[in-house]
Amino acid sequence: MGIRLYQEPQLENPILVASWPGIGNIGIIAVDTLREILEAEEFGEIEPWEFFYPKRVLIRKGVLEYLEFPGSKFYFKRIRGRDMIFFIGEEQPTEGGRMYAEGRDAYRMAGLVLDVAERFKCRRVYTSGAAVALIHHTARPRVWAVPNAGNLISEIKAYQNAVLMSDIEGRGGHGNITGLNGLLLGVAKRRGFEAICLMGEIPVYLQGLPLSYPKASKSVLEVLSHSLGIEVSLDKLDELDQKVERTIEEFYQQIPLEIRGQLDKLKHVAYAQPVEPGPITEEEERKIVEDVEKFFKKRGEGG
Amino acid sequence: MNQRSPIAVYQEPQLGRSSLVLGWSEDAGDLGRKVTDYLNLKLKGQEFAGIEPEDFFPMSGVAIKDNIARFPESKFYACPERELVIFQTDSPLAEWYKFLNSVLDVAERHCRVRELYVLGAMITFSAHTTPRQLLGVVNSTGMKEILSQYDLNRDMDYQTQPGERPTLNSFLLWLARERNIPGVSVWVPIPFYLAAMEDVQAQKKVLSFLNERLDLKIDFGDLDQEIRRQNEQLALARSRSPQIDDYINRLESNIMLSQEENGELIKKIEEFLGEGD
Repeated sequence: MGIRLYQEPQLENPILVASWPGIGNIGIIAVDTLREILEAEEFGEIEPWEFFYPKRVLIRKGVLEYLEFPGSKFYFKRIRGRDMIFFIGEEQPTEGGRMYAEGRDAYRMAGLVLDVAERFKCRRVYTSGAAVALIHHTARPRVWAVPNAGNLISEIKAYQNAVLMSDIEGRGGHGNITGLNGLLLGVAKRRGFEAICLMGEIPVYLQGLPLSYPKASKSVLEVLSHSLGIEVSLDKLDELDQKVERTIEEFYQQIPLEIRGQLDKLKHVAYAQPVEPGPITEEEERKIVEDVEKFFKKRGEGG
Repeated sequence: MNQRSPIAVYQEPQLGRSSLVLGWSEDAGDLGRKVTDYLNLKLKGQEFAGIEPEDFFPMSGVAIKDNIARFPESKFYACPERELVIFQTDSPLAEWYKFLNSVLDVAERHCRVRELYVLGAMITFSAHTTPRQLLGVVNSTGMKEILSQYDLNRDMDYQTQPGERPTLNSFLLWLARERNIPGVSVWVPIPFYLAAMEDVQAQKKVLSFLNERLDLKIDFGDLDQEIRRQNEQLALARSRSPQIDDYINRLESNIMLSQEENGELIKKIEEFLGEGD
């Protein structure tokens, strides 16, 4: 088991951008969109069998023809002396039915991704995921940026629409990044890579829905492309966002009026001025979270 | 990484070129367990190896079934007189690749297995009186050819539907093919209202196929008696409950029941057969 490279591209000073699915598929949509726009070429994969249960079987005329596993693939793109490696994991290796990777398999997967990065003398890694936040779906999501070393903080401060954990209300600079999008950051630190995780905000009331949230993917891609010094068209994400927005709006209208009234207050949250009294109190914040949790619990019980 | 092998071999079996029959313990109609138990009983299978559970099952306590604490088990039995290996196991919940490769390691290294037979039960919305047709999925065209002389439908087309995953049977067959071990997954339909109990007719259908294919020389007199008993019980249930009779009549006429009616039939049959025990 391990890495299978189909070719050994000559890369100069490459940067690795990696992502796996997570809440709202925010990170993976951002990274995969960039990979598509840049027309990055597939050059390898992590052999899936030990990590994943197969996802598809094809039986034709009684003969098992094909068993397909979730992909974990590497792509490369040469860009003016700052080449790129993409890693796209179709699933996170989970144990015991958990949603996110953890434990031995997750650690092994992170190690294999970084083995490829090391082989091509890459020193900078980006990962991407979701940040569940008390925001409204009509708001522009911010990007929470978490570096694995202090010397990256000044760089992050220069990103537009990105915040450090210490900038986030009530966080005090602390938090967790669940799953491989976070774990890779830690393993990278241990192995001497500098790494940044970019997390697009998703409204707290959308986190449990089986929906993508391309609006946040767009925010992530804006920050990522700025950090990489490349210009990309965001038209595709805009288009996707418009489609999803309609579904979200339909869902939103189904939320009971009392809870929706609370959620509507989030439209007026002014993150830019956290020191001034905002239009939403801490007590109201707590109530929104409680109401949303109750609403989803009730929906779940109702089948 | 821990490289410890999960395979425990207690005694080397004395086998020539054998066949392996695998049954999952928690199949619909208890098919895998019942069939492998029956083979072990009739052919005097001797346990010779097992797969340790710790890598494949959450070691978070024990399940209780029918008042008894259960623990995951994966046991190999040898029947040297018939060149047969029987593997009865709970379905692993993690590390499937490692588990299934362990099965094939035992098959190859200790049993010189030449063919693999994996049992599977599929729930059907037909009546128990509908003749059962075995369905075979093979991992090689050679195996398909070999099975052409048996009463087994070998022409199924299927691909995984959204929201579903392939079965462990497919995973195992695929791995067996990587090792050039021909194999077949033998599927038998189980009427939905017998899925939580047992379906002796389905067991016999599978056993008859194995008996013929592997020349096991088993006399099914006792099983025929069991089938008669179960059919009599079901007939009695129909005669005593017009509702059960109506539901089964409709199934016999290929009329689908509503979800609610399906649930009702399951409940009533379970109540009735439960009383008979």
